[in-house]
Amino acid sequence: MTVQTERPPSGAADVLEAGDGGPGRLKPRAVSRAGALAPYLLLLPACAATVLLLGWPLLKDFLLSFQNLNMAQLIQHVTEWNGIDNYKETLTSEDFWRVTLRSILFTAVNVVLIMVLGTLVGLLLARLGKRMRFTLLIGLVLAWAMPIVAASTVYQWLFAQRFGVVNWVLDKLGWHSMADYSWTSSQMSTFFVITMLIVWMSIPFVAINLYAATTTIPVELYEAASLDGAGVWRSFTTVTLPFLRPFLYATTFLEIIWVFKAFAQVLLINNGGPDRLTEILPVYAYIEGIGNQHYGMGAAIAVLTILILLGLTAYYLRIVLKQEEDEL
Amino acid sequence: MKRSLFGRLWPNVTAVVLFIGFVFPVYWMFATAFKPTGDIISEDPVWFPVDVTFEHFRTATQADHFWTYVTNSVTVTVLAVVFSLIIALAGSFALARMRFKGRRGFIVGFMLAQMAPWEVMIIAIYMIVRDASMLNSLVPLTLFYTMMILPFTILTLRGFVAAVPKELEEAAMVDGCSRMTAFRRVILPLLAPGLMATSLFGFITAWNEFALVLVLNKDAEAKTLPLWLSSFQTQFGDDWGATMAASSLFALPILILFVFLQRRAVSGLTSGAVKG
Amino acid sequence: MKRKLIAAIGIAGMVVSIAACGGDNGDDGGRAKSGKDGYAGQTLTVWVMDGSSPDQWQKDVAAAFEAKTKAKVKFEIQQWNGIQQKLTTALSEENPPDVFEIGNTQTPAYAKTGGLADLADLKSSIGADWTDSLNNSSVYEGKQYAAPWYFANRVVLYNKKVWADAGIKDTPKTRDEFYADLKKIGEKTGAEPIYLPGQNWYHFVGLVVGEGGELVKKDGDKYVSNLDDPKIAAAMETYKKFQALSKAPKDKDEATPQQGEIFAKGKVGAFIGMGWEAGIAIKANPKIEKEIGYFTIPGATADKPEGVFLGGSNLAVAAGSKKQDLAKEFLKIALSDQFEGQLAKENGVIPNKESLQSNLQGNAVAEAAAPAAAGGGTTPLIAEWAAVENEPNPIKAYMTAVLNGKSPAEAAKQVEGEFNKRLAQKQ
Repeated sequence: MTVQTERPPSGAADVLEAGDGGPGRLKPRAVSRAGALAPYLLLLPACAATVLLLGWPLLKDFLLSFQNLNMAQLIQHVTEWNGIDNYKETLTSEDFWRVTLRSILFTAVNVVLIMVLGTLVGLLLARLGKRMRFTLLIGLVLAWAMPIVAASTVYQWLFAQRFGVVNWVLDKLGWHSMADYSWTSSQMSTFFVITMLIVWMSIPFVAINLYAATTTIPVELYEAASLDGAGVWRSFTTVTLPFLRPFLYATTFLEIIWVFKAFAQVLLINNGGPDRLTEILPVYAYIEGIGNQHYGMGAAIAVLTILILLGLTAYYLRIVLKQEEDEL
Repeated sequence: MKRSLFGRLWPNVTAVVLFIGFVFPVYWMFATAFKPTGDIISEDPVWFPVDVTFEHFRTATQADHFWTYVTNSVTVTVLAVVFSLIIALAGSFALARMRFKGRRGFIVGFMLAQMAPWEVMIIAIYMIVRDASMLNSLVPLTLFYTMMILPFTILTLRGFVAAVPKELEEAAMVDGCSRMTAFRRVILPLLAPGLMATSLFGFITAWNEFALVLVLNKDAEAKTLPLWLSSFQTQFGDDWGATMAASSLFALPILILFVFLQRRAVSGLTSGAVKG
Repeated sequence: MKRKLIAAIGIAGMVVSIAACGGDNGDDGGRAKSGKDGYAGQTLTVWVMDGSSPDQWQKDVAAAFEAKTKAKVKFEIQQWNGIQQKLTTALSEENPPDVFEIGNTQTPAYAKTGGLADLADLKSSIGADWTDSLNNSSVYEGKQYAAPWYFANRVVLYNKKVWADAGIKDTPKTRDEFYADLKKIGEKTGAEPIYLPGQNWYHFVGLVVGEGGELVKKDGDKYVSNLDDPKIAAAMETYKKFQALSKAPKDKDEATPQQGEIFAKGKVGAFIGMGWEAGIAIKANPKIEKEIGYFTIPGATADKPEGVFLGGSNLAVAAGSKKQDLAKEFLKIALSDQFEGQLAKENGVIPNKESLQSNLQGNAVAEAAAPAAAGGGTTPLIAEWAAVENEPNPIKAYMTAVLNGKSPAEAAKQVEGEFNKRLAQKQ
């Protein structure tokens, strides 16, 4: 909380001043009440948009998840409630749990790779000379800016079975069995390509931000640490890391969300194939719901997907809830 | 502390390797797009486009309605970004500068909103839009794209707003500005990098979206570029020259925007991201 | 299953020509007048699949339609990939496509949804002489939900130059000869002998038909997978043997990428496809036109060609269309003897009436296709089938699994769960 300086009452200006009337501040009651409303008014458009454009589809999706909604019902606009049948069928199907486990593993592997490599690249940026840093930054920004649809297409070309440059390089490196390798033919190789793509696209965000964050660390902290006799590693763990912790939490949270929802990449690279073995939850919901025209079932899987994502991020959300209490 | 030759060398060597690793896919996209087909499907890759050809770009842009798609994509993306910035600016100002009941709730609420997996809600959105008779229109598309990027925009902008020293605002007000004027004259200019940084994210999200538009808009007049690119790929399959030309055209605006804005964006994003 | 019923078409039908009719439809007179000004200013939306009707045919039909009704017609080209999802949502909308092409194997499922208009009156006015076996898929529970449009089976499209380069003079008459010829091409020329991706499942269904196998069997009142049948395994072995000669991906179908475009580059000896796929190749490379030849897919013995999948399309009217009458007017023109004949002539496809088969005379595609048509079949014409064709199609997964080294029995087991789930899917 910052110290409040006295300021002459100036009509309209104060209306916007929210209820932070500290002790020792005198304000007419009416103004203060209007002032108390101000933050809500400012948030109104955002909340209205969220309720209308996100809340409504969510509610609709929730309602659909209790319906038997297939081709016929959709075409004829019929509503057929079927209780919790969709959930029962989903939760008892082996496929769903397999996909869930796969999604969690997939998210974990990618997020760990992104965070570790991203942090290393970020620290490297801080260490480089000006010119080299600029060069690497340009490279990172280009990868970051590639639209997913375009990037997925490019990766398919890089990893193409015929004339793909990756296979050529592997062949030249002496790995002759890879000369005509089909990367989309097995679960692991498909995941490998998808992971390459996601990690490549995501590292820049982490690295660039982390680099920028390190530039805000006060030099005095390092000086103090080295006076205490701390080596490179110690000063990293006692100064850099604690300073960057909130940033790392926030970024990990974002990356978990983004990777978990990596719908376009998975779908574009190999349609969730081969044999549906690379489907992650959002793709599974899409294929069961829209692809298979089993819309009610898709809605139920969607609801479960959202709950699982909530579970994965609950830890961070709790931290935020706590931390926000002490802020301002 | 003097670093050894090795100590000075390895960061630079690593940086060069990383640079190549990050740039190569982008480079290869452009290089393939400019190479004649014979060079694309050759047993040994042709690393540089020696005979530059525009043939593939011609193939790519000859698709029916290409320019309609371009116009639609630009319209929808720009409007969604502008709307979300305006809405978010107001909201983030309240969240960063004011104290009120339920503030935490709002922040967590927007974090939750940010997690929404849009792709799995498509059929619900489809039915809502269908029943409102708004299919094949850019309006619902713009609205939903606005919503897709709104939570991130609010949360990021909040960090930027908080980073503007309160004293500056107060000083302006002491000089007799109203709070609105102070906001416009002092805070807004300081927020510019923040606005740019957040808008980049919005641009890339809205520009990329294809699952929703695929279901909502069947008329060619209301389609956008990602649909063109993905359908292009199924149609042209192994015509990698044309596919890469199409990808290049699709990626170019965003690449330019990023390179153009990156310095300001980067300087700003930290403060935003740190606050989460 | 009604597959053998389609055997009605054969050379006989093609050679015996019954006087070709002009454009006059019997019911032309009165109707046209009644709608003369009523339809002016309206536009009818018609969905046709990519490649199924030539540009010229569309232009001519549009002109005739406009002359008769004063209304315009807008053809919208659709891709097979993802068509069911698109069609289902479209049929639920306020403005569905008025008329649309729909695959014969998909028709029963859509008839059941209530999305297709009843065409009983159309059948009685213009459909009296539609070939019964071709009309089968359009009839669901005794009602006429679509009109048969065209039918076709796959042939071998080959590059004459490549075959000549390999020193092959005659087209093969048996499966073994075919294989030997392809081998020879591989040895003597730089070309890929055959382009056969791992998931050309229509061709696989043809091979199954040839073996006399069935993809599904009845278990009580349910349909279940029959992929573990040895006949299916035999068909798959044949497929595998030929696929081994191709460098095409094992996990893609013939439309991604379009095999015609690969063939157009001139470095492929042959591919198995629909006659109209030559059009795709010629569009990509006009010079290839003079090199394209066709022959019947050879069977195990010279006297019996390979089994084929009798693909076909129907035209249906959306139940939700607000232009029902105009849509029927369109069907009357598009399916008239003149335009049905023109389509048969240009694309080499089997028309919906035997009397129109004369149009196929001298058509290289049709002459290659006809001998096999008699022994052709389809996938089961049941409402449960359409769900199987949704991606990821379990039949395709089965094929890729075998091609990647699994035994047919293992592969059958692997996809059985998914296959049965689709067949049992609630409607």
